[in-house]
Amino acid sequence: MKYDMIVVGGRIGGSVSSLIASQNDLDVLMIEKRQEIGTPVQCAEGTTYQTFETLDMKPSKKYICSDIEGAMVHAPDGRSIDLFEYGLMLENFTNEKTKGCILDRKIFDKHLAIQSAKAGTEIMVKTTVKDLIIKDGRICGVVAKHLGKTMEIHSDIVIAADGVESNMTRLAGLDNPKNPKDICSCAQYELVGLDVDPHWLHFYFGREIAPGGYLWIFPKGKESVNLGLGIRSPENTAYHYLKKFTAKLDATPVELNIGGVPLSGPIDKTYTDGLLVVGDAAGQVDPITGGGIHITASCAKIAGEVAARAIKMEDTSAKTLQEYDILWRKEFEEGLKTSLKYRKAADKLSDKDMNALAEYFVTNHSENFSKLGAIKFLGKHPHLLKLIKEFL
Amino acid sequence: MEYKADKCGYCGACVAVCPHELLKQVENQIIITEGCDDCGKCTIVCPLGALNSEECP
Ligand SMILES: Cc1cc2nc3c(=O)[nH]c(=O)nc-3n(C[C@H](O)[C@H](O)[C@H](O)COP(=O)(O)OP(=O)(O)OC[C@H]3O[C@@H](n4cnc5c(N)ncnc54)[C@H](O)[C@@H]3O)c2cc1C
Ligand code: SF4
Ligand code: SF4
Repeated sequence: MKYDMIVVGGRIGGSVSSLIASQNDLDVLMIEKRQEIGTPVQCAEGTTYQTFETLDMKPSKKYICSDIEGAMVHAPDGRSIDLFEYGLMLENFTNEKTKGCILDRKIFDKHLAIQSAKAGTEIMVKTTVKDLIIKDGRICGVVAKHLGKTMEIHSDIVIAADGVESNMTRLAGLDNPKNPKDICSCAQYELVGLDVDPHWLHFYFGREIAPGGYLWIFPKGKESVNLGLGIRSPENTAYHYLKKFTAKLDATPVELNIGGVPLSGPIDKTYTDGLLVVGDAAGQVDPITGGGIHITASCAKIAGEVAARAIKMEDTSAKTLQEYDILWRKEFEEGLKTSLKYRKAADKLSDKDMNALAEYFVTNHSENFSKLGAIKFLGKHPHLLKLIKEFL
Repeated sequence: MEYKADKCGYCGACVAVCPHELLKQVENQIIITEGCDDCGKCTIVCPLGALNSEECP
């Protein structure tokens, strides 16, 4: 068997890169180890309308559960800040293009795979890629296993879209095992019965709630919500904190989702002879929010385009494929690096610091965040001043 | 490292952190190759507590 391109992983990164490559007349095979594309969900499903614009897709109610109109942040001491009222994240609530929404990823991911298949991509499900075929230092196919049968499949390019576990990047020598501090361990319930506004997001912070991360409530239409959290702490499991928070709620789960989010920023090199890396496997995830849907979709589109050009030139060497690395970094690297810097500074915030910041926002509302107010506040909290200096 | 298959939600988070690359996720279970030194890294990231060092169950 021989293809122009093999894609390992069949979610956002895989479906988008295969879709674009197939639209550009490449012979593409996408391999997904699960028996159903899009399940189990490992996501809180929040994104912005930019995702559809990037993908030239008409947004559809088929996979959009909620439009977002506001968000509330809850400090460890229970103090709440209405981000809309404070003019923060305003773009996400008012600008049509960057407005937030909650997806149904089971439907969205499957929809993307269907579009890719309609463009000509062949798809194998319940098939695991076990190894890369490497000849004279270049990657030229994969070893895959389907229902106990092992097969070699050759191609000129392989795209690694295999998510956080990404065996492909390690087999290709592009990444090393990660430090647990850089993986956010997540657990989430889809809950029925919680009385919340179907257009509002909620974020909770605090060591007792989600150490080293945060807890989110994202509405999925009127009937259910995604309530989940991500932690970075060896003391207890993410599931422990999920049970703890939901114990006092009058709501019942219809789904449990778990997963790990890489928060270390992008890997150093996302290409080599005959291979490109996209999505979580490449660390294309915002280290502060853990959001990866939009970045993954954008980078996967670039990967599909670059792969198509390389195949047409009959040159899939690292030198040609480097174009992908240059193009996606131009668009996203600075943002990801800034976010990583903020995340590292935020890691040092104690519950007390977060409460003080929340208090500052609430009490200075009427002063419209005057410079003088900020200086007075930082004078009282020298520890935060030190952190802010690190930011700048 | 003790792996409790019935506590696993096959998310793959543990695979990303094993320094010796001993963990592999096969659709709905984790396979551990020999050579574990009980470093505990996989335990830290497992959302469900399916991986436990024998000394600290
Ligand atoms: C709990 C949680 C909440 C999140 N919430 C949000 C959010 O609200 N908004 C947002 O933007 N992002 C969120 N993210 C991040 C987002 O889900 C990811 O960035 C995004 O899904 C990345 O897509 P991907 O295609 O790179 O990888 P994945 O979605 O991880 O897909 C990888 C695919 O590859 C397959 N695979 C792996 N290895 C092999 C193999 N060897 N052979 C064959 N197939 C293989 C897997 O089965 C999987 O289907 C969240 C993540 C988690 C864990
Ligand atoms: S991190 Fe835990 S739940 Fe996830 S695959 Fe590994 S053992 Fe299973
Ligand atoms: S304890 Fe360490 S060496 Fe053993 S499986 Fe877990 S991560 Fe790998």
